[in-house]
Amino acid sequence: MPRPPPASPHTLRLFEALLADPPRWRYGYDLSKETALASGTLYPILMRLSEQRLLETGWEPSEEPGRPPRHIYRLTPDGIALAEQRLAARRTRQAPRPSGPIVQTRTAGGAA
Amino acid sequence: MNAAAEVRESMLRRTAYAVLARAVRGRRERGGEWGEAVLAEFGETRGGWAAVRWAAGGLRTVWQERRQRVRQLPRHHRIARGIAVAAAVSLLAGLAFSRYVMSVGYVVTGSMEPTLQISDRYLLDKVGYRLTGLDRGDVVLVSVALAPGEKRHTHVKRIIGLPGDTIECREGRVWRDGEQLDEPYLMPEDTEIGTDCSPVTVPPHQLYVLGDHRVVSMDSRQFGTVAEDAVEARMVTRVWPVQR
Repeated sequence: MPRPPPASPHTLRLFEALLADPPRWRYGYDLSKETALASGTLYPILMRLSEQRLLETGWEPSEEPGRPPRHIYRLTPDGIALAEQRLAARRTRQAPRPSGPIVQTRTAGGAA
Repeated sequence: MNAAAEVRESMLRRTAYAVLARAVRGRRERGGEWGEAVLAEFGETRGGWAAVRWAAGGLRTVWQERRQRVRQLPRHHRIARGIAVAAAVSLLAGLAFSRYVMSVGYVVTGSMEPTLQISDRYLLDKVGYRLTGLDRGDVVLVSVALAPGEKRHTHVKRIIGLPGDTIECREGRVWRDGEQLDEPYLMPEDTEIGTDCSPVTVPPHQLYVLGDHRVVSMDSRQFGTVAEDAVEARMVTRVWPVQR
């Protein structure tokens, strides 16, 4: 896998939305609404994830005649793994510090 | 919503769509994958400003997609492209700089000898003097017609009198407000022959200018004072030849 994207808060928000129901194909406009990301923020992230093979894309022909096909997205298995790992990492960061010795949980390398 | 608001909204939406479509496709039938993706979702937006925001984000997407395409070009291609862009940008910047900020002038007459000789090159400041103001003794580039009705040309002259100064010539020397000027920049022959001029008090917003080579120079002795606006630049220093 090429360099993993830096998990910005925006990317994490997108990961959350995409992980809600991973096999389902999603539309850009709906993702934008759900994550409250402007199109100018959302699409560059989608573009980058797709370039890194973390996101699958496709074109879905519109049911209404005269409307253009819509671009659709869902995470690849690699994408799902990375998204879960990044969201877990955020939860660890946000959790209150334990009083005892700090145990850092880290996933092993590889596909993670 | 009233009719006027509806019209405004539909105009906003149509304009936003047209701008985005143009950015995505240019003159092609179909644009890049991601630009088309944003365009295809445009119809989902509701309202005028939401459409504008969507289109604005679309423009950013198109820009990012283009940058991504450039990144994927072969290395030598990318380098050549970078060089071409840098060359074009610096050429434009250089032209603008030399037009409005600083440039190098070329001496074509002997009227400023010995300070400047024919074929000397000198550095011109086109902005600084506007901030600091002009002073007596400054060498400036002025645009004047040597005789009424003639075409204006630029000449290099030295400022002798500012507005309010009274300039006169006595015994071959220039006097300003009753005080004889020390003019070490003159040609030795001019010191002997002397300068002859008719007395004048410089009017507001005018300048009295003389060339250093008094016997050949055409200057305020012939065409009178010149407007401050006629000054185009101030000489900073001679740049070529470096030494004389």
